[in-house]
Amino acid sequence: MRLFSQELVNGITMGALYALIALGFSMVYGVLKLLNFAHGDLYMVGAFVGYFVIQWFGGPLALSIPVPLLLVIMFVLAAVLVGGLGVAIERFAYRPLRNAPRIAPLITAIGISFFLENAALLLFGSQFRVYNTSDFISFSSGIQIGSVNIDSVQIMVLVLGLGLMVGLRLLVIRTKLGKQMRAVATDREAAEMLGINVNFTIAATFFLGSALAGVAGVMSGLLFNQVTNTIGFIAGLKAFTAAVVGGIGSLPGAMLGGLLLGIAESFITGYVSSTYTNLFVFGLLIVVMLVRPRGLLGRVQLQKV
Amino acid sequence: MKKTGIIAAGALGALVMAGCGSSTSGGTVTASSKCSTSIGFEGPITGPASPVGDEQLHFAELALSMDNTANKTSIKLVQGDTQLNPAQATTVTQQFTSNSAIVGVVGPAGSQEVEAVGPLMARAGLAFMSGSATNSTLTTGKYPTFFRVVSNDGVQGPQDANYIIKNLHPKALMIVDDQEVYSTGLVSSMIPVFQAAGVKVDHESVSQTLKDFSSLVAKVTPATTVVVLPWQLAANAQQFGRDLAQQHKNAVIFGTDGLFSPGTFSISGSYVSSFGPDITAIPADASLVATATAKYGTFGTFGPPIFAATHVFDEAIASVCKAGKTPSRANVLAAVKATNEPTSILGQPISFGPHGDLVNGKFFLFKLNSGGKYQLIPS
Repeated sequence: MRLFSQELVNGITMGALYALIALGFSMVYGVLKLLNFAHGDLYMVGAFVGYFVIQWFGGPLALSIPVPLLLVIMFVLAAVLVGGLGVAIERFAYRPLRNAPRIAPLITAIGISFFLENAALLLFGSQFRVYNTSDFISFSSGIQIGSVNIDSVQIMVLVLGLGLMVGLRLLVIRTKLGKQMRAVATDREAAEMLGINVNFTIAATFFLGSALAGVAGVMSGLLFNQVTNTIGFIAGLKAFTAAVVGGIGSLPGAMLGGLLLGIAESFITGYVSSTYTNLFVFGLLIVVMLVRPRGLLGRVQLQKV
Repeated sequence: MKKTGIIAAGALGALVMAGCGSSTSGGTVTASSKCSTSIGFEGPITGPASPVGDEQLHFAELALSMDNTANKTSIKLVQGDTQLNPAQATTVTQQFTSNSAIVGVVGPAGSQEVEAVGPLMARAGLAFMSGSATNSTLTTGKYPTFFRVVSNDGVQGPQDANYIIKNLHPKALMIVDDQEVYSTGLVSSMIPVFQAAGVKVDHESVSQTLKDFSSLVAKVTPATTVVVLPWQLAANAQQFGRDLAQQHKNAVIFGTDGLFSPGTFSISGSYVSSFGPDITAIPADASLVATATAKYGTFGTFGPPIFAATHVFDEAIASVCKAGKTPSRANVLAAVKATNEPTSILGQPISFGPHGDLVNGKFFLFKLNSGGKYQLIPS
């Protein structure tokens, strides 16, 4: 029972991280039908922003501001800067190709991914940058339920992750921008004819998706400490998997896919073997694709002829 | 060491005065100033293992600079970034083998990379020498141009396993490989020793790209008092240690080679066994340590073996020149095979067995004290 509970907590924490990144993937796919492979690298940039905020305020052992304020600044700055970067990428790399064959923006996305990775290498070097979270947030400041330890960073990741997911869901369902996003995702030309500013809506979608990736990057730095220019690739791949399992284009699907992926990884590691984690996880992906080719919450789209 | 250096410098001065082309003194061979060629360097200059690669590159450059001055040679270093990735190492090796100016290669760092490039190097007749690839299977004769200046896992694995059994007395332990040849090789040589001693072994395996070990750490039971991490990336082990602390697990980490990284791995109470000595503790290396520290800052155990490997190549090339020949892959390979250095910066002689293994190589064991400082302990 102890192992079950601990793995559940670990899995949900990891899943929340995957889900946040997967949401951006799914949002962009929803409005542009573009697999934005640079999305994982935006997560990497977010992790670097968090790292430099810590250094800016004196480093983990000599912070000049209270920790809660530091965390707020880290998350807000990462969201704004990475969101802005996402908008810039959309404006200068994807928008000119909006009417090009689908392969063109796909290749551009891969190019942007390499560009970001190598730009980070050039700017920040190849060395590991370390958050050293335990130097300013104690492990003992969490809670213990039975024999399960949940430290304060995990609690923060869970609360913030789930809060952002709920917030995004409300934004998409209840706000004018959300309606515009759904309209553009359904039929871009019709939305334009109805007076919706498509360029603004797509830019807003990129901003939101990228901002979530930036926040996830800071969460990753706080949880796993390490930041390098290469961390985005695997994270992006896992988030893409989560988005596909949940049903790419579906926001609840991305959340579900992320959580399922995190929990599956955790339980397979705990109860089977870490050796076979990827085998089982990607086996699960294949099974889901065979049974529901559009993902767990994906919808069949009618093809107009 | 200093005395040898003074004698060598004196001899060099005398040679210049006499206008002579070449001579030998002590363990150093001096050669004509026309002795000009290139050697390659393969290491993870970028990527997650770049702390290892940077250190290795620095020490290769340092050795080359010192040897070029001492031997009056003009050997250049051609850099190749492998990122500790066999595919990338193969690409770099193809570039090196097609560059006829390169007569030897220092590196690559990882056993998995040696496995990938060994056939290419053999086909090109290009001698290559690793300062950190320790997998036992690399020196069975399948790669005839491969050498290493460090011991192999056949020595390290059982030695470490026996130390753990005799000194840490675990009833159960977890051993985690990182899915690379280096790591799986060590694990294979350790598990039979543990099982023979009646220790319950939980063998796990994780990718080097994994950064979240919380699920794995959850499997560490109260009876599991030791976790063995034969890994190449110290930052991953540091995170594993943090996850242990976060879940209030008291298991001791016993790591190997890659974990010797004072700036990165600092979990107090851990053990690290290393193929390389801490040369800062070798009095004869004081001058070199001072030079290296001044130029590059603090360093671990990955750089010095590369210094030794580069020095072997430098001396081999100088001896070829001294014999009046132009350095080629064939004669440099022959000269490397004949290496017999009575001493080295590693504190041990360097000569090679028939399949490229270091003769009488040894391993070194360190314990991290409460401040995370590495202390050499008897193994």
